[in-house]
Amino acid sequence: MKSFLHSYLKWGGRMKKAFIIACSNFRKSKGQMISIAAIMLIVGMMLNLWLILQFDYKKNFDRNHDKLNAEHVMLAVSVNSEKERDAVRKLLAGIMERDGRTDDFYMDEAMFGYGSFECNGGAINSNFIYLDRETAVSRPIGQIEIVEDSDETSGVYMPFIYKSEDIAIGKEVKITIGTREMCYTVCGFTNSVMAGSNNCSVCELVLTEDKYKELKKMAGQGENMLVSENGILCSVRLKDKADCENYYAMLQNKLRTKYPSAGIGGNYYTMVIQARYISQMICAGIISAMAFLILLIALVIIASNIINYIQENMKKLGVLKAIGYTGNQIIGAFQIQFLSVSLTAVIPGASLSYCIFPVINEMMISQTGIPYQMHFLPVPFLITVGILVGAVFLTVWTAVGRVKKLEPIIALRQGIQTHNFKKNHVRLEQVRLPLNGALALKTTFGSAKNNVTICISMLVVTLVLAFSAVVTENVIFDIDTFINMIVGETTDSAINITHDIEDEFLQIVSADERVEKVYLYSAAKVSHVDGEILEATIIDNYEELNNQNVIIKGRFPKYDNEIAIAAKYAKRKDIDVGDEIVVAIDGTEGTYLISGFTQVTNQLGLDCILTRDGYMKFGHVNFMTYSINLKDGTDVDAFNTDMEARFGNNINGTINVDAVVYAGSLVYVQLMTMIVIGILILSVCVIAFVLYLLVRTRLGNKKQDYGIMKSMGFTTKQLIIQNSISFMPPVILSTIIGLFVSSVVINPLIAVFLSGIGIVKSTFRVPVGTIIVEGVVTVIITFLILCFMSRKIKKLSPHALLTGE
Amino acid sequence: MQNILLKTENLSKSFSNGGVMQHVLKNIDLELYQGDFTVIMGASGAGKSTLLYAVSGMDTPTLGTIMFADTEISALSQDELAVFRRKHCGFVFQQIYLIDGMSLMDNVLSAGLLVNKDKKAVVDRAKELFASVDISEELYEKFPTQISGGEAQRVGMVRALINQPEILFADEPTGALNSQTGLDVLNTLTEFNNQGQSVVMVTHDMRSARRGNRILYLKDGVITGECNLGTYRHGDMGRHEKLSAFLSEMGW
Repeated sequence: MKSFLHSYLKWGGRMKKAFIIACSNFRKSKGQMISIAAIMLIVGMMLNLWLILQFDYKKNFDRNHDKLNAEHVMLAVSVNSEKERDAVRKLLAGIMERDGRTDDFYMDEAMFGYGSFECNGGAINSNFIYLDRETAVSRPIGQIEIVEDSDETSGVYMPFIYKSEDIAIGKEVKITIGTREMCYTVCGFTNSVMAGSNNCSVCELVLTEDKYKELKKMAGQGENMLVSENGILCSVRLKDKADCENYYAMLQNKLRTKYPSAGIGGNYYTMVIQARYISQMICAGIISAMAFLILLIALVIIASNIINYIQENMKKLGVLKAIGYTGNQIIGAFQIQFLSVSLTAVIPGASLSYCIFPVINEMMISQTGIPYQMHFLPVPFLITVGILVGAVFLTVWTAVGRVKKLEPIIALRQGIQTHNFKKNHVRLEQVRLPLNGALALKTTFGSAKNNVTICISMLVVTLVLAFSAVVTENVIFDIDTFINMIVGETTDSAINITHDIEDEFLQIVSADERVEKVYLYSAAKVSHVDGEILEATIIDNYEELNNQNVIIKGRFPKYDNEIAIAAKYAKRKDIDVGDEIVVAIDGTEGTYLISGFTQVTNQLGLDCILTRDGYMKFGHVNFMTYSINLKDGTDVDAFNTDMEARFGNNINGTINVDAVVYAGSLVYVQLMTMIVIGILILSVCVIAFVLYLLVRTRLGNKKQDYGIMKSMGFTTKQLIIQNSISFMPPVILSTIIGLFVSSVVINPLIAVFLSGIGIVKSTFRVPVGTIIVEGVVTVIITFLILCFMSRKIKKLSPHALLTGE
Repeated sequence: MQNILLKTENLSKSFSNGGVMQHVLKNIDLELYQGDFTVIMGASGAGKSTLLYAVSGMDTPTLGTIMFADTEISALSQDELAVFRRKHCGFVFQQIYLIDGMSLMDNVLSAGLLVNKDKKAVVDRAKELFASVDISEELYEKFPTQISGGEAQRVGMVRALINQPEILFADEPTGALNSQTGLDVLNTLTEFNNQGQSVVMVTHDMRSARRGNRILYLKDGVITGECNLGTYRHGDMGRHEKLSAFLSEMGW
């Protein structure tokens, strides 16, 4: 005990001395400490935001999944008769009961079919599962929660994700089912974890009992509504949710083999969680990248600050060592100084993230459609504090290590040994530069550590600028590239017809003066025998397609034995261009040669392209979709209505593709606009903080030099410009290199960010002009900030500068 | 009749110290003449350096006027004062104040090129001045931390004289030097003065003060006495006695 007390008192005494030095250092560098604190506050805020988004936001999906006892695999099947439906039900029950992976399952009656409705000024298209309210809320597996209800007794409950100004309680929503437009009053909103959004592959719409019966009656009367009254909704819970993908593929394959004409839709846990959290992934990725880049800048600043301090206060350190302070006490003082600053900034910074989070949460809920209740999360908070404090501790330890080895006499001589090898990089006698430029350049060469700090900061900032330029160009201003990358093929109108009228349809549409081009672009499903169900696109001639960039490696399929498959899927299955795969179409297996890789995110990297001949070798087509390019100024809806009137029941549905794409992309535009604005503001703040620290340090270090120069007759303006210019060579150089390198690496980086949604190769245009302008503006803004911050020189008289007052 | 280089009227300088005003210079009327080696003496805290920096445009007076030829320098802005200093003044400081990050040659050229854009002419003059103060060519590219104090002060003088200033202001130029190097510096100053360079020097060292031809004594911010010693001649003992008598009279 005595020994412990003795050690404690000894340690306490040592720390007290270190604390005294730390306080003294802190007093002398209040400005720098406040700036470091400001940067650490931003880093703390962003890191905590990222951790919340990354770890808890997705867990919210599981919380909801558990709450509603949701399924791991969902299968919606529509068949032609009640008898067939019972047979399918029996088949599925048998398969699921026998499979050891099944934990529990539930099947009930539901209608299933294709439809669309207007939302956010565009159209939402999906395979909808129509359930009646009582069935929906009482399903033992895959229950649907009513999150907002009303007194309305007749109408529809819409998924929460579509809640908007147009789709609100009491308002009417028009749902197009096949060629029929159904008008329903919105009674409330639902939370369906597995089918609560159109990007889940299937989407559940809950109808009140009367409306459900009405729809079933219409479907039963043979109305061509692309909806079947004989539908089954099958929900399966698995013992291990990791099996969901294979289980889903197995169910589909078996069903398709036995009932090739059945309409089958569905999804599984991993696909849905990925689909519903695309925005969260993008947002979390960007926030984490920014957080770590700014942390890097903060650490470089701290290291540079310490190294500068040691350089400038060598004599003082020598005195401290001479009077008996140990190296550890001096190092301890630096640790106390920077750790206390970091802690006082990181804790409020992490707390501040809870003030910012509601804005991000609102944006995210509009993307995921799953309500998230914000609450304090101690683990991300502690991880944030731990990471940042640890990083600062290691940085200080590394930067200050030199002090430990420093001999007092060398320190007292102000490390004079180090001066002996000083080089004169800019000799005024020889240099062909104006005097102020030459003197500025001299300062630049004499400030290697500052230059490193500037370069790292500017490289980070330029990467962010290049990213914002690319996003602005390809998403915010002109969304076509983004849409081509995400959606694949886009056109004006898509019309689904019955196979029997194909020739007549083509003849009439081709003759229509409003039409520019009509080509086959039809969807079907095929099964990769060793893998999963792929969403197939059937084409006649790839040269007719508007987007030739869908293929990112190899080429489109030309012949009937060729197939192009999703690059992400191919990578996962270790398949390359030139390999052969066995594909089952309508239950018949055939071998196809892989001609190329596609990149479309619609199916989250589970898609393929086949020629019509290639598909028809084994498959059968009852319906087919033609894409139509219309001449500029043509009203797409009017054209579609004309076609519906002309071909009547032989048209199963029309889509205004423009409107659909617009509605789907709007959220991305909004998200990206917010991200770009955020990171630009953040970049300016980071530049300003870094420059403030550097200028302040420089003015402190060169106070006497500027005093001497003022006495020699240099004006304040000359010194301000000289000081500002001295920072510019590393600024300009790192901006040029940074923008060049960023322009080269930005697409691969974006591909990494978007890899979760099936992007393997990003093909965004890199706007060279915009990036050059950004570079020039950055350099100018930096120079102006430097001049602004250097204006302190003005306040000091030469006499005061000389005497260091 | 000597030409007046600089003239002050009612020159006052006050500082606020903890809310209490300290009047360091009080209504000083002073004329400095061309070619003179003026020495300002006085006890510590008498205001010698304050007077030097005020008349040289390094510091602004609280009251009064300072005229340099037809220019009222007390009315100039900071930037105008800077231009005035670079054209008309040279400074030698006790702490020398060379810029550590520059070579000796660059220390001098940075002042010279500020006024004269003809680089060759400036470099030639620098070399000429270096030679006159016994700074050899090998030292040109050395840095201030790599030379002795005496050498550094001589470089300081070269820098002060590079633009051929009308007045050379020296604030205790031997204060930080040992006896021999201090003597060398004084010899150099005397030599330049003999060549027509006007010098105003602040010192509290009698050995240094003997070099001046005009001695002003400052006490509590007021010039209380003036003594004319005539042109300096080496070994002139009468000069020493005259100065001693003057200083005794002033209460030194």
